[in-house]
Amino acid sequence: MGVSRLEDFREEVGPSGPVCVRGGGTRWLVGGPPDGDSRQVRAPSGIVAFDPAEMTVEVGAGTPLAELSGALAEHRQEAALDGPPGSTVGGVLAVGRSSLRRIRVGSVGDALLQANCVGADGSLFTAGGPTVKNVSGYDLCRLLVGSLGTLALLGQVILRTWPSPERMLWMQGSATPEAVRLLCYRPSSVLWDGRQVSVCLEGYAQDVEVEAAALASNFGFVEVATGPVLPPHRSRWTGRLPEGGLLEVGTSVVHGPVEEPAPEPGPGVAAIVARLRSGFDREGRLNPGRDPYRVAA
Amino acid sequence: MTASSSPPTGGLLGLSDDALTSCVFCGLCLAHCPTYRVTGDERRSPRGRIALMRAADAGTTVRDAEWHESMDTCLLCLGCQVACPSAVPFNELMHDTRAAVAGVRGVPLWLRLGFAVLVRPRLLRGTSRVLALLQRLRLIPGRFPLPRRLPLRDARSRGRTVGDVVLFTGCVMDAWQPEVHAAVEEVLEACGTTVRRSGDAAGCCGAMHSHAGLEDAARSLAERVMAAIPADVPVLVDSAGCGAALRDYGSLLGTPEAAAFSDRVRDVHEWLAADIERMPAATVGERSTVVVQDPCHLRHAQGKHASVRSVLAPYAETVELDDDGLCCGAGGAFSVLQPGLSAAVRSRKTASIRRAMATTDAVVVVSANPGCAIHLATAGHVVRHPLEVVAERIRGTQEDAHGR
Amino acid sequence: MPSDGSVVISTTRMNRILEVDVERRIAWVEPGVINLELTRHLAGTGLHFAPDPSSQSACTIGGNVGTNAGGPHCLLYGVTSVHVAAVEVVLPDGDVVVLGEEEGDAVGYDLRGAFVGGEGTLGIATRIAVRLTPDPPDVRTMLLDFMTIEEAADTVSAVIAAGMVPSALELMDQQVVQAVEPFANAGYSLDAAAVLIVELDGLPAGVAQEAEAVELLALQNGARSVRVAADEEERARIWKGRKAAFGAIATIKPAYYLHDTVIPRTRLAEVISGVNAIAERHGLIGMNVFHAGDGNLHPLLVFDDREPGIMDHVYAAGEEIVRLSLEVGGVLSGEHGIGLEKRRFMPLLFSPEDLAAQRLLRDAFDPEGVSNPDKVLPDGPSCGEIQDLPEVPEGTWV
Repeated sequence: MGVSRLEDFREEVGPSGPVCVRGGGTRWLVGGPPDGDSRQVRAPSGIVAFDPAEMTVEVGAGTPLAELSGALAEHRQEAALDGPPGSTVGGVLAVGRSSLRRIRVGSVGDALLQANCVGADGSLFTAGGPTVKNVSGYDLCRLLVGSLGTLALLGQVILRTWPSPERMLWMQGSATPEAVRLLCYRPSSVLWDGRQVSVCLEGYAQDVEVEAAALASNFGFVEVATGPVLPPHRSRWTGRLPEGGLLEVGTSVVHGPVEEPAPEPGPGVAAIVARLRSGFDREGRLNPGRDPYRVAA
Repeated sequence: MTASSSPPTGGLLGLSDDALTSCVFCGLCLAHCPTYRVTGDERRSPRGRIALMRAADAGTTVRDAEWHESMDTCLLCLGCQVACPSAVPFNELMHDTRAAVAGVRGVPLWLRLGFAVLVRPRLLRGTSRVLALLQRLRLIPGRFPLPRRLPLRDARSRGRTVGDVVLFTGCVMDAWQPEVHAAVEEVLEACGTTVRRSGDAAGCCGAMHSHAGLEDAARSLAERVMAAIPADVPVLVDSAGCGAALRDYGSLLGTPEAAAFSDRVRDVHEWLAADIERMPAATVGERSTVVVQDPCHLRHAQGKHASVRSVLAPYAETVELDDDGLCCGAGGAFSVLQPGLSAAVRSRKTASIRRAMATTDAVVVVSANPGCAIHLATAGHVVRHPLEVVAERIRGTQEDAHGR
Repeated sequence: MPSDGSVVISTTRMNRILEVDVERRIAWVEPGVINLELTRHLAGTGLHFAPDPSSQSACTIGGNVGTNAGGPHCLLYGVTSVHVAAVEVVLPDGDVVVLGEEEGDAVGYDLRGAFVGGEGTLGIATRIAVRLTPDPPDVRTMLLDFMTIEEAADTVSAVIAAGMVPSALELMDQQVVQAVEPFANAGYSLDAAAVLIVELDGLPAGVAQEAEAVELLALQNGARSVRVAADEEERARIWKGRKAAFGAIATIKPAYYLHDTVIPRTRLAEVISGVNAIAERHGLIGMNVFHAGDGNLHPLLVFDDREPGIMDHVYAAGEEIVRLSLEVGGVLSGEHGIGLEKRRFMPLLFSPEDLAAQRLLRDAFDPEGVSNPDKVLPDGPSCGEIQDLPEVPEGTWV
């Protein structure tokens, strides 16, 4: 794949007319549906280069997440990308929702090292760099993650990978989330439904078992097969858990059954956003209809 | 990124080229500089001061009032010198700079008069008695840097004419805090050591003169001290500032005799800690908790601050401060010369002391330097010399043991 | 270093720790708070601020945000950006905004992420919400020494390739060790060609398992000895030496030029040899002390700037090091940033289109171009064309 597929993608996007990028379509309505008259394009798919010893992987943005995960798992590695079945790498990055396990793997924004993008004028540009640490110039990668493809379209990306845990298990029981966080050292995920706490423990098998035993003996936690099912909508913690909601402890993200309105950005932020949008995409041709500021969290 | 040191071209201040170029401006000293910490001003930092010395030496800057202020505001606490991985001789640089400046700009008359009193013990005691009287009449404000209760009469013990050791008694301390020398003597004698005092014949160590750039005066005082102290016994010092000065005579005078003298100088805690078994068991009073304040001239100049803890350990619990040994702002005459800056530096120290006291039952601060003790007492702390705390806990034992 | 006519705004005295929320693991600080002071302030809470640049006893959190600073422990815990939840910023037009959220993901574009590392060109941080990290229950600090620097570098590559991410993995060569050991008394071997500091932390079983694996890999790659710090005091001394290394250079020569590039972690040995050869060719002393685990090189060119003509060699060698790093697939800077000094190298790494996109980000924050002008981006976007050598500012980052 590599350069030629990227060049094909650039040509497909072209220099004019509204376009929207289709990934797996699993979060197609997040931030609003794309305008009906925009042309649908797909980013290249496939793994370009995986260097396990370097712990980085280069993939087409259209690569299904499952394909990436499978390739990484062969070398006992993983990336901080998470999404519903059918998600693509580019889709997860564009939506920008971090994994539930972000305490272990980091946020989705931390995962993106370099992005080859197609800009609104139809030219290719590169954001970031291939190494795991880099402050050469501005951090465009972080700006692109969660931008719903409104600034540029992701074509090919380099992601940071992490060693997979030797053991992972979910525990569930009744305790305050804070008590659980004090008992366990950096659990990958702590979820609270107002009555029960679900904890994801990951790491070396012996450490996980010791912490699981501590949860069992201190608070009567029991092991469960998977984590709780997440309600579809996200909002920010306001001090009260909505009916049927689930709080991600430590991140303040609330997963709830009802869509909450997004907060309005203040005038200073709105001015920066307006300049970004007009600068990167004067005509508003990239993913028209979708707006990251219409998402509540 | 370069870290570079341009060579001095003219050498207008006569500073050592090697010393000036040994700073690579890494900034690891900044956190250890009390005046930088309270001002946030590069010109009040060791790195800034070296840059200004270098510029003045090379003649690329004018020595204006601001330049002088940068040099005058240095406490000479030497926190920077200890923190420096390249071992920049900051003490030498600042002393040489001040000496060069004093030669050109001069030292104010009132300061010269003050120093003149220090070297005349009887005049100093006379002046002190007047101050003590004024203090009793409440004519001196409490914020003035004086001990809480200056002695009204001369309470010095005459002591022995020969001894196993000489206790250096100095100038101000002898006049203002005779109880400290008495306590030190009591502890030493309780350990079976006979003590001779250096007394008026030795007089002042010259540290303040040297800090002010009056190198000639400092040298002649050093000669007087050495002449008054016999050449074959250890010289013990219970004031960290004087101890550091005595230890520096070797380089100040540059003679083999002075170097040999400096080699005989010991901080009294260092001397006691070297043979801790000699110290009698505590028999009197309760084991209390004290906050240890390290005088810069013990910690940074002499590196002997651990001894204070060793010596106190059998008699009291010690609590450490959390400020990494940052200076208290006393700095000899600094509290008089730079009262505002001195108080600002002190407020960091008192905040650290309050934090230490908040988590323990300590109410007393111990300090092995009279300047620090007076400075902190002026801010409302109860400050004792470490050996005063020790003396109180062995009082009585030694009378049985040594029949005094 | 300000460009001509700029007003310098110092935030050094904005040095208050405003609020520490232990339960939510967030602290609000002013930009002038010294990095190490925050961690000291947190003593007893079981939390710390993870970014720990070598200059942490002197550098401020505002500065860390400006450069997106790293430090030894960012290998596992991530650079400053990962630990900044929100920033109150005075924008170049005077507006005051808060970017980011105290916790979780922000709504909309990640302007906080864009701001961190902006080198003061996007506005001035006036309050910063930093995330606090729990202290690890177990820490093991290992000191390994090698008779060749290549063996040490290969050990680093082997540890990463084995799927381990230590909390820190630092390399120092013999000349650095000899310069700093008298100050630090860390017990580094003075006759070793290189020493590696490997720190592992986390839960005890994992730490023990990884320590065993690291030791095995080190011995396979030629380590002469493996020492494990017995207590906190020994560990502190090992780190004191590492963090004071740059400052000790004056014991060798009065001046140094410190570089900061990142290369793939699998190519450490060959690049270090290349760097040393470049220094030698220019009659300079090349020394290496760096964050080996993430491939972040800090080659030091050490010299006496009183030697006539020496600076030409220093600049030429510096450029060769940058070019070598880029040739093997590296980048211009890992944690020190671009500033004035590396602006001219930006076209070596980025195309005119790449730079134009970066320019758009900057202009969105500062359309008038008043905040820290002339920094980061080169003036002309001409590809590959090196601009005139600028005056390299005096001063240093450690």
